[in-house]
Amino acid sequence: MFQIRDEERPYAFLADKDNKSHNRYGKAIKLIDENSELYGRSLNINGDPKVSDNPNRYKQHGFHFTADNCIGCHACEAACSEKNDNPAHIAFRSVGYVEGGSYPSYQRINISMACNHCDDPVCLKGCPTRAYTKFAEYGAVLQDPDICFGCGYCTWVCPYNAPQLDPIKGQVSKCNMCVDRLEEGLKPACVSACLGNALNFGVIENIPENREQAKTDIPGLPRTDITHPNIRFQQTRSTHREMTRTDSMPIKYHRNDKTGRFDSTIDDKHGKKREWNWSKLSSRENPLVLFTLITQAVVGAFLLFFMGPSIGLDALQGITGSAIFIPLLGFMLLIETIGLVMSTMHLGKPHRFYRAFNNLKSSPVSREVAGVALFFNSLLGYAFFSLFTGSDYSHITNILMQICGYAALITGPIALYFMHKIYRIQARPFWNHWQVLTAFYGSMLSMGGLLLGITVIPWMAWQGMDFLPLLSTLSVVMFAGLLIEVTGHICHKHDMWKLLKQGHGEGAAAQFEQETKFGKTWWLRNSLLLINILLLALLSAGLFSSTTALIVWGGIALSMLLSAVIGRALFYVLVIPTTMPGAFFWKNRAFQEHARETGLAHREQCGVVYENH
Amino acid sequence: MLFGRKKKNPVKIADKKVVEWKYTTCGYCSTGCSIQVGLNKEGEAVSSRGAAGADVNRGKLCVKGIFEHELFKSSGRGDMPLVRNKIFEGYEETDWDSALDQMAFEITRIQKTWGRDSFAIVSTGQLLTEEFYTLGKLSRAVIGTNNYDGNTTLCMASAVSGYKRSFGSDGPPGCYDDFEHTECLIAWGSNLPEQHPIIYWRIQEAQEKRKFPLIVIDPRVTMLAQKADMHLAIKPGTDVVLLNALCHVILEEGLEDRSYIEAHTNGYEQFEKLVSQYDPTTAAEITGIDEDTIRNVARLYAKADSAMSIWTMGINQSTHGSDGVVGINNLSLVTGNIGKQGGTSLSITGQCNAMGTREWSSCSGLPGYRALENPEHRQEIADYWGIDPEFFPKKRGLTETDIFPAIETGQIKGLWLVATNPMTSMPNTARIRKTLEKLDFLVVQDSYADVETTQYAHMYLPAATWAEKEGVFTNTERRVNVVRQVVKPHGHSKSDLWIFNNVAKRFEQGHRVKFPDQPEQVFDEMRHLSKGRLVDISGMSHDKIEQQKGIQWPYTEAMDKGETDDSTADGKGDQRLYTDGHFSYADGKAKLIPLPFIDNNEKPENDYPFWLNTGRVVEHFHSRTKTGKIGNNNKYSPMPYMEMNPDAASDLGLVHGDYVRCVSKRGDAIVMVQLTQRVPHDMVFIPFHFHDCVNRLTLGLLDPHSRQPAFKQSAVRIEAVEDQHEAAQLCLESREF
Repeated sequence: MFQIRDEERPYAFLADKDNKSHNRYGKAIKLIDENSELYGRSLNINGDPKVSDNPNRYKQHGFHFTADNCIGCHACEAACSEKNDNPAHIAFRSVGYVEGGSYPSYQRINISMACNHCDDPVCLKGCPTRAYTKFAEYGAVLQDPDICFGCGYCTWVCPYNAPQLDPIKGQVSKCNMCVDRLEEGLKPACVSACLGNALNFGVIENIPENREQAKTDIPGLPRTDITHPNIRFQQTRSTHREMTRTDSMPIKYHRNDKTGRFDSTIDDKHGKKREWNWSKLSSRENPLVLFTLITQAVVGAFLLFFMGPSIGLDALQGITGSAIFIPLLGFMLLIETIGLVMSTMHLGKPHRFYRAFNNLKSSPVSREVAGVALFFNSLLGYAFFSLFTGSDYSHITNILMQICGYAALITGPIALYFMHKIYRIQARPFWNHWQVLTAFYGSMLSMGGLLLGITVIPWMAWQGMDFLPLLSTLSVVMFAGLLIEVTGHICHKHDMWKLLKQGHGEGAAAQFEQETKFGKTWWLRNSLLLINILLLALLSAGLFSSTTALIVWGGIALSMLLSAVIGRALFYVLVIPTTMPGAFFWKNRAFQEHARETGLAHREQCGVVYENH
Repeated sequence: MLFGRKKKNPVKIADKKVVEWKYTTCGYCSTGCSIQVGLNKEGEAVSSRGAAGADVNRGKLCVKGIFEHELFKSSGRGDMPLVRNKIFEGYEETDWDSALDQMAFEITRIQKTWGRDSFAIVSTGQLLTEEFYTLGKLSRAVIGTNNYDGNTTLCMASAVSGYKRSFGSDGPPGCYDDFEHTECLIAWGSNLPEQHPIIYWRIQEAQEKRKFPLIVIDPRVTMLAQKADMHLAIKPGTDVVLLNALCHVILEEGLEDRSYIEAHTNGYEQFEKLVSQYDPTTAAEITGIDEDTIRNVARLYAKADSAMSIWTMGINQSTHGSDGVVGINNLSLVTGNIGKQGGTSLSITGQCNAMGTREWSSCSGLPGYRALENPEHRQEIADYWGIDPEFFPKKRGLTETDIFPAIETGQIKGLWLVATNPMTSMPNTARIRKTLEKLDFLVVQDSYADVETTQYAHMYLPAATWAEKEGVFTNTERRVNVVRQVVKPHGHSKSDLWIFNNVAKRFEQGHRVKFPDQPEQVFDEMRHLSKGRLVDISGMSHDKIEQQKGIQWPYTEAMDKGETDDSTADGKGDQRLYTDGHFSYADGKAKLIPLPFIDNNEKPENDYPFWLNTGRVVEHFHSRTKTGKIGNNNKYSPMPYMEMNPDAASDLGLVHGDYVRCVSKRGDAIVMVQLTQRVPHDMVFIPFHFHDCVNRLTLGLLDPHSRQPAFKQSAVRIEAVEDQHEAAQLCLESREF
């Protein structure tokens, strides 16, 4: 158990006198009563069976932060990292700031933020391994690094940057509310260390002594309606109309006089110049770029040859019986396997991959993985039994093959649906749009058609068969796929700008970066999309001779691959989470990238590490 | 699934398995926080925490203190003594005996050839007081050089000089408890949240109990300026004018404490005559602070029942540093605010033991605030040490800032640097490099082998650091606190006390003078010599200090025995000096000193249109040899940066986060620019911690009294850098940590 210091001072002790019964969202602050089976149990901290007699043990606790008082001295962060033995690049608590006004009427508001142990912990819901638990004790949301397999999904869904993915250890860890201190009646280490008397802690909705507010917003704080975070603020000093961030996020905050709150809006820090920035397209999520595209292509290709003929796409009739069919299935399985391996290796702890299914109940990641696994195995079964076509057992294997085929038919699109659900994250407005679904289903058709085409058509040409009907049919499908995708893109852009008017600038800021920092790359992608659509329309209409059509189609294939990879890479690198403001070096993405580029990140004491472990 | 798993694993929380907490005192700044270092079963230091019972920090620590235990194992520590004949050769490891033999031989050779003063010693504010006292004894009584000083000349010399001029002795008269009583506080060039976070917290605590006006005078909108009730954004280097103007208003409006002035000060007439010239209208033009504000502040300060001023480098590091301190003392004296609760003139010191060196190192005189110029003092010390008083010089020799020019021109041939890094910390480092090249013999004694000055050394002596040794520090409020040895010295490094003692043994005179081995024995010598002095510590012992978690001097034997019945009966020493209005001058009176203002600073002009301001950041200490290696400190500013006004930057086409080139009349530096309205349009600010950065640019004009450099007033121009990639590489190559 945690040892209380000799002569400990009053500031370190929890000091809740009485509590409200419900929080501002109408939820009971007392999480369980005496009759609950969870009552009176030990937290088993490091195996210690002691049960604390803290009278408020089963009440939701939270931090209280007086923004007027924070001096940005880093004592809270240091106390936290010292206690939790964290290396420089991991911080359960971080201080960032926003600034406004002009000299000498300058104002800087520091914000110290850790986990808010939310009422509605999206991390817990999103985690595929069920590494998270919201404890009845103190309402603490704790994460067990020993269960975590390092997918980092919790770091995507959390609006407050609370979970920390360690690329070195390949796992996530986060604020544990210092439950060991709470059990002894002490406030968390960060609170006890605060030198500005800014941080405080207690039963939620309680206003600490000498404080008078318990607000849920200050400039720079992400919206609180997503998770109902257990943090309250005091900020009584008047602020400037506009508060900016020193980090590289193209976001600033503007006071809305009607609501009195600060809206996030675009800050065009680096101007409106259109650039390529090819190298910046590459990110930690590169494996996901390929995995999503491959899976969509494989599902699409399967749907086409399995279902195509029965929905009137006659040109697809012959594929299943042809000599190319087995190699086609083999190729599909091969690339899907590569995709799966890549996405597994993308995990911090790939050997724990099997834990992905642990949270089918609420995690879209678990559901996606399950969907893809079922599809993959159905496809595998289908391919296996297809080997027996024409054999003595074919009367049985054909039935099994059909069963597998229908299974794949159902699970494929479902897998893609859940794949899209992964990105429907409220804390990531650029992703949280139906465009993801149209992009994924659009790619299923376009990339599926492409996959079939590049496998079957060269073989048909080599065999001297007439491939024009197939080519036209696939062109129609691909045309439809691209059209769906483009529709999504157009509406997405429009809706992102619309969100800006509603005071949520993160999506628009990402779109702004798309049009400026990656402006030229984006336009290349858009142009390729348009050209491809146009040429596919011509091909669908059957206006070309065989040779010309083959050449044009080959060109389209290449340009589609290029535009798909660019588009998907942009999708990953652009997203701007509704996270906390950073500082000039610490938690500044531009500086982190700079440190990696220049080699400064080789010095471990700079607090930046390379992402590929 | 509100609660997640039904079957829960045990909650795992990092457990450093501390089996013992050892008491010690923080080795960073002068606040004087009590720390407990946690040791595990293997005896390794694994944790640090504030000592909750200590009066200074009451259990709190700043970002540096919280990770101080990591110092012991940080990279770059020295293991073996290193030697080389020429500075262009590589170092070779050697043993202590050979190294110290050679060192003594070189010192003797140089002194025999060019005279005793041709070998100089520059120490620090980082050692333990017993070590300072021993180094003083070694320098004054054995080696016998008069060119012996500390790097405190770069930080506290102006405060020392100002206190001496006003009160007749060094020694800050106030304490942190004054925050609890004051009715008005002015912070002059002091950014506590960044420089002294724990002292800031004490003010915050006091403010929450009882609100009092806080006035901050600083050209930057520092965190403290933002917290202030009034922020006076003063033009750099003009504090003396503001001080004169405040006194002008006070005297003009009859707000002064007439009876205090008459009873306890001299020099009123000349003082009044001088301040009469500094009416608020005139002062407003010079200082940039409007006359209404000047009057307002003057009235507020004078009418408060108790008012105090604190200051740090904004005052000290100026060509008027000493005058600035005297000016603050003048303000305190005319309002009767010395030696009373909440009424004081309190310098907030820099290094952990800047006070210890001021009291006991003999740098500027002899131990216990004694002066070389005073024959009785020379006699007393000579008798106690057992040497001929004629061995002492009769006047103080060169200060650190004059020692380097004397090396430059050949008067000084050998130099011993103890725990200081002039290659980073002195102004105009290009000149320092040139200077160090000229030395016949340079020995660098430091805890870190990678301290940049070793580039020019002939010998490097690895010293133990902080709580690898035992002894005491004195903090800003005269509180003596004990550093207990927590772990053994790293590798083959030795405590500075051991090194001094063993150097002494190698001199003939070193056998005549006693050099005790144990810190406590050295402390006893200091106790003895402190009897009856202002800095009386005769009632203290290491154990008593630990028991009280710090005792403020004066603490006499009588006080220890409970023979006094006043406020000092708690065994924690005397909180305030001069409570009876009796000062250290022979007649017991303080001096009101007229301060004419001569504007000799390098100011922005056409080719160099920006003020260059320098200062500290909370996560770093001094030249970063310590904090640069501790990730959880260093990460908040792992490389140098420059604050610049965005409007000024846009005029020059500079972009936030780009590297820029700063050019002064001394040289240039590459630095990453951070655009912020915290600084005015005509000023840039660069933290001084980084090697080969801001001090390539600074002029460092010297204060005539304290010889402290004006680090904060230089002029620069800023240029865009075309090749950002090259600039980044240069920045990386410029410092190894």
